[in-house]
Amino acid sequence: MAEYKLLLEHSHEPEFRTLHGYLARGGYAALNRAKGMERQAIIDEVKTSGLRGRGGAGFPTWIKWNGIEKEKTRPHYLICNADEGEPGTFKDKQLMETTPFLVIEGMTIAALATQADAGYIYIRGEFVDAAKSLRAAIDEAYAHGYLGQNILGTGLNFDLYIHMGAGSYECGEESALMSSLMGERGMPRLKFPHAPLPTVAGVWDQPTIINNVETYAAAVPILAKGGEWYVTLGANTKNSRGTKIFSVSAHVNKPGNYEIEFGTPLMELLDLAGGMKGGALKACVPGGSSVPMLNAEDCQNAILAYEELWETGSMVGSGGCMFLNEHTCIVSYTWRTAQFYAMESCGKCTPCREGTKWMLQILERILRGNGQPGDMDLLMEITKQIDGRSFCGLGDAAAWPVAGAIKKFPEEFEYFIKNGRSMVDTPEARAMAPRWAQRAFSAV
Amino acid sequence: MSELIQLGAQRPKAPAPDQLELRFSDKAIAELDALRTHYPTEKACILPGLWIAQREYDGYLSPAAIAEVAHRLHRSYAEVEGVATFYSMYTTAHQPGRHMIEVCTCLSCHMCGAYRIADYLEAKLGVKLGETTPDGVFTIHEVECLDACDRAPVLQVGDQYVGPVTEADIDALLDRLRNEDSSAVVQLADSIVQVHLRDTERAK
Repeated sequence: MAEYKLLLEHSHEPEFRTLHGYLARGGYAALNRAKGMERQAIIDEVKTSGLRGRGGAGFPTWIKWNGIEKEKTRPHYLICNADEGEPGTFKDKQLMETTPFLVIEGMTIAALATQADAGYIYIRGEFVDAAKSLRAAIDEAYAHGYLGQNILGTGLNFDLYIHMGAGSYECGEESALMSSLMGERGMPRLKFPHAPLPTVAGVWDQPTIINNVETYAAAVPILAKGGEWYVTLGANTKNSRGTKIFSVSAHVNKPGNYEIEFGTPLMELLDLAGGMKGGALKACVPGGSSVPMLNAEDCQNAILAYEELWETGSMVGSGGCMFLNEHTCIVSYTWRTAQFYAMESCGKCTPCREGTKWMLQILERILRGNGQPGDMDLLMEITKQIDGRSFCGLGDAAAWPVAGAIKKFPEEFEYFIKNGRSMVDTPEARAMAPRWAQRAFSAV
Repeated sequence: MSELIQLGAQRPKAPAPDQLELRFSDKAIAELDALRTHYPTEKACILPGLWIAQREYDGYLSPAAIAEVAHRLHRSYAEVEGVATFYSMYTTAHQPGRHMIEVCTCLSCHMCGAYRIADYLEAKLGVKLGETTPDGVFTIHEVECLDACDRAPVLQVGDQYVGPVTEADIDALLDRLRNEDSSAVVQLADSIVQVHLRDTERAK
């Protein structure tokens, strides 16, 4: 298998960012088809396609769309989660920059199916280029009747707004994102079954659909070519249909976004990205920083699909795939992961607020050469105390990579704690380490 | 990372209500009015309102800036300060330099040598991460993942990403920025405000 460019097919063509160029390449065929369909038929088409949320959780998209009240009694909102923050992931950024009309058309289709009045694209504050590209596209869409009042004669009135974040990973969590959109600190809210689903009471307590950028974009080919066609992609997997964009980075020769059909072996993704750089493959984090890492042996058999990757011991997540070479000190890598989650924990719940900092402190002391016997057990114990006990998924996401690294590379942690230095004693490993951890590596 | 758990850090005092000095330009007021039409509540304008303030107050959300946003949006000072201090891109602690250089040291960047880039920046500018050069031109910061891992190690300067960077790139970048009178910090805030607004809403 090679790349399968469904969403990224025209992403290298600058004209695709303009309405004219988009239309010339088949743009808005999907909306034109959808406008002749019953609302339920649009949702059923998405159901047939087997589309699952591309933001990380893999939740069936049609269930969200189907959950909105059919007899409209109040405003309905649509949110596009473009707060891409997962370390290792940069696919939404490229989609917004190079294929803005796919996102807009996908959202308009969703609006048509769910009678939404307004849509908000919540973009992380740093992504100014992506926001500018979407801004220009939205303005053009308004000017030509693709947004605003009575879109393409469908009777749909749909306004689309851009809302910029201001630096918070937590806002990628859907309930925190809605808090942030409403002008609050980006903290998560109670979720189902303790509170209504967003489809019943989401942003401003109104029925709300919230999907990832890539999910909305994927709705376009599904409506254009049909759900029956879409399921032929990834047909050899258990329950992963269509294509997925993986962002490949770290120690590879050609880092970048690669769109593949579900069911593609992980090693083929590595080949697409030009193979390993600077040394042999040691580990891979296939779905963004929060998923457990795979060692080189696991990688040989890993298949990129939701259930298949789960069985190998990891997850598709958001598709941020980092390949690590033999010079990677796993302890150092894990420490940096822990720092990320400690910095980004919103502080709302105790297991995550305290647990992420404890993990960071223990990993830092190991990296400083002051590890204590029993630190590995202590770390594992803390991960168990966070996992499943935090208010939102950030705690789980902080615990999994630490537990995963200790499970896959226990000898590296043991060695570091016992000897006060890294088992990976190469100049390359030293070059990656922060200054205060240099003592753990031999000087050249 | 003991600085993560510092408690009771000094917090600037809010201006007294009768000491409020409003500084928003006509353009800023018009932008805020346009933004009000985007949301069903005025409260939702707090985030974009703070972006406007960060531009109007030279890149620094001082207590006076926060108070102005609170006043214009009919919210309490405490509420707006609470929001402003939650997000890392709002500068509430101190006046930043004209150009903020943010070094990503997160996973892929860490793997691709970001700590050496951070070291080099510190040595070259003679200040530590989180500090501003005495001439007020540069502030350097360590940031979490910028999600441009294909360009690791990557920097953010104003509304631009720069990467992958080498030490030579940094030399050239610093030289270029030093000769630029405009402020990348203000320009970032302005870019963010502008993308909220439709072409029909933007100031001509």
